[in-house]
Amino acid sequence: MDDSKGGSSHATHISPEQVQRFCEFVYRRTGMSFTESKRYFIDRRLEDRMAATGSSSFQEYFSLLRTDADHEIEHLINSFTVNETYFYREDHQFRCMTASLLDAIVHQKEPGGTVRIWSIPCSTGEEPYSIALWLMENWSQVDNYNIEIVGSDIDTRALNAASEGVYGDRALMRLSRDVVSRYFRPIAGGYYQIDEGLRNSIEFTRANLIDPQDMKQYRDFDLIFCRNVLIYFDDASRRLAAENLYDCLQPGGYICLGHSESMSRISPLFRVSRFPDAIVYQRPEADHG
Amino acid sequence: MTSRETSAPYRAALDSPDAESRWTAARALAGQADAVPALAAALGREPTPRVREAMMTALIRIGNAASIEVILPYLRSQDAGLRAAAIEALQALPEAIAPFMEPLLSDDDSDVRLLATELARNMEASEATRLLCELIEREHHPNVCAAAIDVLTEVGTPEALPTLEKCAVRFAATPFLPFAISVAMSRISGAES
Amino acid sequence: MADTATPAKARVLVVDDSSLVRLYYRTALERAGFEVKQAINGIEAMEKVLSEPYDLVIVDVNMPRMDGFTFLRSLRSGAADVATLPALMISTESGVQDIGEARMFGANFYLVKPVAEAELVRHVCVLTGATL
Repeated sequence: MDDSKGGSSHATHISPEQVQRFCEFVYRRTGMSFTESKRYFIDRRLEDRMAATGSSSFQEYFSLLRTDADHEIEHLINSFTVNETYFYREDHQFRCMTASLLDAIVHQKEPGGTVRIWSIPCSTGEEPYSIALWLMENWSQVDNYNIEIVGSDIDTRALNAASEGVYGDRALMRLSRDVVSRYFRPIAGGYYQIDEGLRNSIEFTRANLIDPQDMKQYRDFDLIFCRNVLIYFDDASRRLAAENLYDCLQPGGYICLGHSESMSRISPLFRVSRFPDAIVYQRPEADHG
Repeated sequence: MTSRETSAPYRAALDSPDAESRWTAARALAGQADAVPALAAALGREPTPRVREAMMTALIRIGNAASIEVILPYLRSQDAGLRAAAIEALQALPEAIAPFMEPLLSDDDSDVRLLATELARNMEASEATRLLCELIEREHHPNVCAAAIDVLTEVGTPEALPTLEKCAVRFAATPFLPFAISVAMSRISGAES
Repeated sequence: MADTATPAKARVLVVDDSSLVRLYYRTALERAGFEVKQAINGIEAMEKVLSEPYDLVIVDVNMPRMDGFTFLRSLRSGAADVATLPALMISTESGVQDIGEARMFGANFYLVKPVAEAELVRHVCVLTGATL
């Protein structure tokens, strides 16, 4: 495919062999793979990133990418994936939670026992609130247990926004009008604020996944949603984050990653667990040799 | 307290009969340079994979020449899991491993040479090309060549082409290698922009 | 790509951290009429075998994060429908003890790298019950 732009200062002809190199690197690093039909899409993204980094050749860009200069891997992945946050994003995992995971989790608990769920990073709160909403709407046993939901992020501005619980139409687009009317109230500017009871029910905290001191304070979680952050970390940070998350989980507890993420690129600490709605990962109940 | 004093109880706990205590100790010693000898000794006898993983992470976080020296012998281990853990740990330390590359790529043990080619993947392209071509020129073992060719497929510069051509001739009758070299050469030659 | 007019003989998962090895096996096996998927290590292989049905897994030994032996152990101790998945282990090691070890972990057959195309296809046919 000849994409050369005559007269452009970024003469970006990218050969099929270069695209192959690029795709193999991305697959190795992230687990994302692209079929032939996506080739045009890849070419465009590559050209965008080359322009954004001021790379005058694919070679120059590829060297930059391989060393992850200026977090290029993060920028690249962001250009390939839809990265906005909204309520009920990747809801197959919430379905998995109520259809499969919670049964296993409460199997070990007394009625009235505590179920601890962690959303990290929680960003501006859509994920932890989604968890709460989903449980109330979909879990028949929601009143039989004490559910603790914690939402953590490294960004205090995002956390403040999460505590405010104010959202626009776009964030709510996956919610039915019925759910919106029951749990949100309209406020000025066309925004909606989530119910005060819900706002008070989520504990929002600042935490850094790779800070062992931070992470020490989080223990005994039954379920962790750690979506779309580990993929950006370098090797050493991914290992550390995985070990930290392991310690934060109960033995037998579950962790859900983002849709383009896989523990195969992160850590061997967790068991792969397949359920009808999702693949999740489990901290083993006990060590094996 | 000095770092040596605070790390003492954790260093001792590396010998605990309880896996959880050894895990906690290994995690606490991450980045503690004085813990390298204790981690080195413990790593060799650690039966629990996740504790081994934590010990490797601790060594990566220390990341100096001493921690590399500790990890290197595990490239020779009979245990595939330990070899994999060692290579992954070394891959996380591209700058620190640089001085060790030539000795590793000329090690007497072909398994060590094979594993070491993977470490060139994180190096700058012309340096990786130089090291791997030097290896290929003197290498008799087809699987070691194959591993080097795999890395060159990703990072090789056109300087590698003559070496690869000669390699193709040497191994013309060996399965897989002609295929591998042909793909590598096309990736490298196709990299004109 | 496999000829889409005739159904694939069988579905094979190739697990190796070398992209060249995976390409080599895939090319040979697709030419022989098999459907081929890939994984880079034992963890990704586990995700794939748990998600879709396969007739055979071809597994390397030296892979990052989860080596071939650990993968086999996981596979054989898992749910019944995946525990019996035939496994062809392909390794750089040629010693008798290595072959013995592979069988102990649950490999059904063992080949030594580098593997010739014809040899690979012949073994895959035998292990999947397909005809050449």
